[in-house]
Order: sequence, then C-alpha cells, then structure tokens
Amino acid sequence: MMHFPSRRAVLGTASAFTLLALTACGGNVAGGAAAGNSSKYPSGPVTLTVGQAAGGSTDLIARALADGAAKTLGSPMPVVNKPGANGALATKEVAGKPADGQELVLLTASLVTITPLAVSKDEAVNLDDLDIITGLSQDDYVLVASQASGFKSFKDVTGAGRNVTFGTTGVGTGSQLAQTVLFKQANVQGTDVPFDSGKPALTAVLGNQVELATIQLGEAMAQIQAGKVTPLLVFSEERNSFLPDVPSAKEAGYDVPVAQYRAVAAPKGTPQDVKDKLAAAFKDTFKTDAYQEFNKKNLLTPKEISGEEVATQWKDYAAKYKSLVEKYGISLGGNK
Amino acid sequence: MDFLNPVLNGFSVVLEPMNLLYCLIGVVIGMLIGVLPGLGPAATIAILLPLTYSVEPVTAIIMLAGIFYGAQYGGTITSVLLRLPGEASSVVTVFDGYQMARQGKAGTALGLAAIGSFIGGTAAIIGLTFLAPVVAGFALDFGPAEYSALALLGILLVATISGGSKAKALIAAAVGLLLATVGRDVFTGESRFTFGSLQLADGIDFVPIAMGLFGLGEILYNLEERHRAAKAPSKVSNVWPSKSDLKYASGAISRGSVLGFFLGILPGGGATIASMASYAMEKKRAKQPERFGKGAPEGVAGPETANNAAATSSFIPLLTLGIPANATMALMFGALLIQGVTPGPQLVEQNPDLFWGVVNSMYIGNILLLIMSLPLVGIFVRILRVRAAILAPITALITLLGAYTINNSMFDVTLVVFFGVLGYLMKKFGFEPGPLVLAFVLGELLESSLRRSLLVFGGDPTGFFTRPISATLLLVFLLVAVLPGVRSMITKRKGTTAAAESAGNGTNQNIKEKV
Repeated sequence: MMHFPSRRAVLGTASAFTLLALTACGGNVAGGAAAGNSSKYPSGPVTLTVGQAAGGSTDLIARALADGAAKTLGSPMPVVNKPGANGALATKEVAGKPADGQELVLLTASLVTITPLAVSKDEAVNLDDLDIITGLSQDDYVLVASQASGFKSFKDVTGAGRNVTFGTTGVGTGSQLAQTVLFKQANVQGTDVPFDSGKPALTAVLGNQVELATIQLGEAMAQIQAGKVTPLLVFSEERNSFLPDVPSAKEAGYDVPVAQYRAVAAPKGTPQDVKDKLAAAFKDTFKTDAYQEFNKKNLLTPKEISGEEVATQWKDYAAKYKSLVEKYGISLGGNK
Repeated sequence: MDFLNPVLNGFSVVLEPMNLLYCLIGVVIGMLIGVLPGLGPAATIAILLPLTYSVEPVTAIIMLAGIFYGAQYGGTITSVLLRLPGEASSVVTVFDGYQMARQGKAGTALGLAAIGSFIGGTAAIIGLTFLAPVVAGFALDFGPAEYSALALLGILLVATISGGSKAKALIAAAVGLLLATVGRDVFTGESRFTFGSLQLADGIDFVPIAMGLFGLGEILYNLEERHRAAKAPSKVSNVWPSKSDLKYASGAISRGSVLGFFLGILPGGGATIASMASYAMEKKRAKQPERFGKGAPEGVAGPETANNAAATSSFIPLLTLGIPANATMALMFGALLIQGVTPGPQLVEQNPDLFWGVVNSMYIGNILLLIMSLPLVGIFVRILRVRAAILAPITALITLLGAYTINNSMFDVTLVVFFGVLGYLMKKFGFEPGPLVLAFVLGELLESSLRRSLLVFGGDPTGFFTRPISATLLLVFLLVAVLPGVRSMITKRKGTTAAAESAGNGTNQNIKEKV
C-alpha cells in the first residue's frame, strides 16, 4: 500500500503553520537597531510591555495609550503582554534592555510601593532601575459591604463590636494594605481572606461569604449601581468624582491613602531628548477625545504628572506604607 | 420567556457566519483526528489552544467543543473498519462493530453509530439546556467551603473512576497536586518551589503542562507506533440500517443517552467510561448475551450513543461550576482562561452569549456531523494514509510555536518540552496524564478554597457541615470513598453467590485494561 499524504492534509497543516508563524510575529517586532543617534528617534516600533494579561485594566490602558502615541511618534507602538509575578517579570526584563527608548514598560505603583512589603527583596522592583516618562491615571479602591452584613456606613462597622471578615484581592495588594491599616486604625477586629483578584472577592461579597471587601472601583461599580453591595469608603485622598456621595477614608478620620497609580517607564539612562519626545507624544494622547472617553468609561481619574513627580510621589507612598505597616505591626503575609 | 430569551439569543450568536464556519472547522477537525488513531481530542485541543487566542471567546470555544464531540463520531469509523479504535471512547465499539463489518454490514454499523451519536448528543444538549441554569442558580451559594468540598470529591473521583491502574492514577494525581503548589503562596506571599526564579513566581501555567503532556507527549509516543501497518479498510455500503437492526438498537440508544448523560456529569467520568458502562449494560440486559462480540447491533449503538451523550454533558460541571470533569474539559478550562473568561457559576449570568452560543452550537454541530458521517465516511477513511513521519514533526512544531505565542515567553516553550518528555515517559510506563492534569487544576482550587473557608470559619473545620451544599458534597465524598471497601467485604462474605456476578465484572475489567 502506498503511503502518500493527501495533498489536502499537507496544505491544511501548512496553512495552519503559516498562520501561527504570523501570530508569533505580530506581537513582538521590536526594531533591532541599537541606541545610536537619538535625534532619529524613534528608529522603529516602540514596544510597550505590560506585566499583566491581555484584557485586564492595565492592559486596556496600555492599548488606549499606545493607539494615541503611535500616531504622534509616527511609528507603531505594539503592546506586548508578559504576565508574571504581578508585573515584576516584565518590569525587570525591560529594565535590562538598551536605554534607547525603543522598549517601554507600563508600570503599576503597587509593584513599587506595596508588593515589596509582602515578598522577598530580590523579587521586588527597584524604581532606581527605571526612568519614568509620565504618570497616567489613578484607579481608586472602594470598600464595599454585603447586604447581609447590614453595614450602611463605616460607622456601622466600627460599632459592630465583633469580628468581621473581609476579602482582599490578594497578598501584597493595595486592597489588603488599605483594609488591614484601616481596621487597625479603627480598632476593628477583622479576618483577612485573600482572593486571586477583584472578581472573586466581589462574588464572595455578593454571596455573603465575606462581609466586606476592597476592590477597584471599575470592577465594583455595576454591583454598586444595582444596589447589591453598599459602598462604605473610598481610599483616595479626596472623594472620587464617579462616587461623589461616598466619603473618603481621610474624611472619616483615617490616614490610609491607597490607590492604584500607573505610569510609563523606560530603562535607566534613556537620553533626555528621547524622554522629552515620548513625554510630548503621551501628552498629545491625553488631549485626545478618545483617550479621555476611555478614562471616563473605565472610571479612571487622570493623573498625568511628570516622571519626576511620579518618582517622588511613589517613593513617598512606599515610605509611608512601610511606616504604617511597622507602626501597627502588620505583616502583609498575615496568615503565616 | 425570561428563561427562553437568552437561549434564543444564543442561537443568533451561533448563526453568525463566523461562528458557523468555526463550528464546521471544529467538527471537521474533530472527525479527522477521530479517524487518526493516537491523536485524540485532548492532544488536538492542546495543540490548537494558541490559535484560538486571536478569535472571539465564543467562536474559539465553539470550535474546540466541535473538535471534542466530532472526535466521538470519527473514532467509530476506524473501530468498525479496521478494528483500530481511533479514540479510547470507541474501544468497545471494536468488539461488535468489526464483526459486523466482517459480515458485510460495515455500513449498517456506521449508520447505527452515527444515528445513535446524533440522538445521544442531542438528548444531552437538551438536558444541558435545562440543567445548567438550575445548577448556575445556586451560583452565589457556592463559596469557598462548597468549592473545597467539590474539589475534594473531584480529585477522589478522578483517581477512582479513571481507567487503567488505580495506583498509577493516584501517583499521577499526587504529582499534579505537587505541581499545583509551585509558585507564590497566595495567602502569605511566600515563594514555594520557585528556586528563586521569577518565572515560577506565579506557579506553573496550566497551558504548557497540557500542551506538553497531551500534545508533545502524544506525538512522541505515537512516533513509536508508526510502523504498525494499516490494513485495507472494508468496503462501506448502505449506511441506512434495516428495520430489524433499528429494533435492536433503539432501546440501546435511549438507554445509552441517559446513562451517558449522567456519567458525563460525574467528575472523572466522560465518554470512555460511558461507552464501557453502556456496553456492559446492554450485554447484561440482552436476552441472548452470546450474540455480543459476534456483531450485535446494540453493542455498537449503545456505546456510541453513550460516549456522545457523555461528551456533551461533561460541559455541565465545567460551564456551571468551573470544575473540569475530565482531561479534555480541563483543556477547555484553559482555553476559557486564555480568553479572559473564568468558567464558573457566574458564567451563565455574566456571559449568556458565550454560554448559550456554545451550547446551541452543539445542535448545529451534531447535525453537521450526521450529514458528514453518513455519506462521507469513505473520504475520512483515506486520511489514514497520512504517514506519522510527516504529521508528527509538523504538529510538534505547531505546538512549540503556539506555546511561545501565548505569553511571548521562551520559558513556556521549555516547559512544554519538559512536560512533553514527561508525558511520553508516562505513557510508555502506563501512566495516564489525565489524572495529573486534573489534579493540578483541582489542587489549586482545593488548597485556596480550603484555606479561605477555614479563615471564614475562624479555623473551625465543623463549619463545612453547617452549610447544606458543602455538607451534602462531603457526604457523597465519604460514600464514594467508603463504598468500594464495604462492597468488597460483603462480596467476600457471600462467597459462592458472588461468583456469577464477578464473572460479569470480569468482562468489564478486561475492557478497562485495554484502554
């Protein structure tokens, strides 16, 4: 019997193969050009690496930003997702790339300010390895209560006089830090129940498995508007414009300013004129209707400050969180 | 009307040309790999996972589901014509199907299998349509406690029900549990088994494990078997069964539908178990059991109906609870996660289009398969002529490229190679990779849910029994764990009376060992 592959099978597999090869190329086409003459910047596509999976809020921000900036820069800005270790993997990788402005990373503040409190030193990211180009936006945390808990305001929680259970979005996240510090300051006994992310924590509140949880506003808003969970506090320094009736923790008398901030960074030592060019391109993007609409839709408060300001503010927050945690004897790996 | 609206919307999702096309692609691929012995649906889905990355979630899952149930149709063809089961779930079809072919009734056997598969599949989809929303109605009652009980039950069933050696299944499951602990402890932030590597900080991703064990491992293992000569297939004519054949088969088909549906829902169950159980049941019920093995039509119709019903109903635990019932469903789980969709109780409510789109695509897919498998059988048989030496390197290359594209990570490719070699060695030494993968998925769920519920209960384990759903599940767990022991004790005491029964069980055992 003859053993010839049918032409169709070979064609089929070959086309599948080609498709895959194309998929592989689509994501990462960073120009191989070395640092060279910065006046010719950009010398090819500018890759924006995201340390979170595609589809998450950080990824969406990166894509909205890259869309706008690519037009001003006049070269494509592909977004590449390299999830792992809360974004530490992607950040460390970009920090090690040549400082020519062709490789950027979308940085989340918690990675620099909060995660180091929970993980070992060599897993943490150091801000000094990066040049921050610009700040982006602020994503607020909101404390919500389940219906069965009966809590209508944070006063109800402090007055309950019993142990409350609260869900967090994971160890070493702003959600955990905000709640543990808040409850220490308010003298509330609480049990910290970590979930993998915001969604399961919210589901646990909806199903009355935990009484409270702190999650990002964008994730909680639909259920807040449906009246299925009650917002008690926001952790921003001022009230959030999307939830004007909910007091901030500061107003309620607690010193626990926690939010998720995001910024764009390049490897340390990127030439000043390259940084200026990038910052200008991002500034143009911030002005576009599409980007502003994106922020509004995702309940993000713009915080488009300069790279230097970002570095100072984040370092201040890191120091503040460290002293808060030490003051109240909190260990973020609290269930050891 | 409230219930029907999302169901009808689901149909409009399926009827979008793109989704119809992918449904067709899925069932054709499923049929093809069903015909190819060795390359199973799990391996195919593992290999094609990255390809689905760029299409809409609902489209991707429609295609992958099509591969799964399509393979159940295709697997029959080689069982009947060549005495070479294309799929594990068609092993028992060989006994009577091949005999029928030798008697010149190959067409009848294939026709019965196709009709049975269609009825079984469709019955199971109808069951799925009505049962899934009921289960999902309990969505918010499923907290950490319920998930721990469910995961515990799942792991036990995986280890006890799966075919082959129980001890080996347990060992594989234990390795899966161990692998599940790698990475940053989500409760303390402590790193476990990461050896200081940031790549492992989030644990090992499910997809490279599945692609390695099922994809690369299968390819390597099959290369060894390539010299097995293919026989000339019997001639196929007259696929429409006669009246007397239908009379024998109709009872088997209806029993197979029900049996398959329920066995498919069970964690650890699925198409293979269902087909065996149905064969055993038909043989036990038959007035002349000696006809079995000599070309009894119900010996083909029953198992083929049951494996399709089970393939469909095993979507229920995945889509409603987020618990994969078998290895292929574990891959579907991975596919959904890649798409950013978390399968679970919230799915029906939050993603009705996806849920009903996928469910309703199965009606269409089954019709397509019925059309394809009756007149087009001859064409699919030709596929058997593709040599492994050509197929294997291409599929291996696609697997590795695909592994890279998911996270743009070379580390993932290394993982796939590592698990590919592991999968090859496991197969060679008689270990099924299924229990490992399932224990890996369920182990993560078990650990985090257990610790979470103990936190909620304030460290009091009796809390599990104060919640109705978790208490029931734990009771079932105890029953499943204790019952086999009790049964064997009773059998021992009865002594002689059990002899007849053990003879019946004996054939069952024989079948299992062949898988």
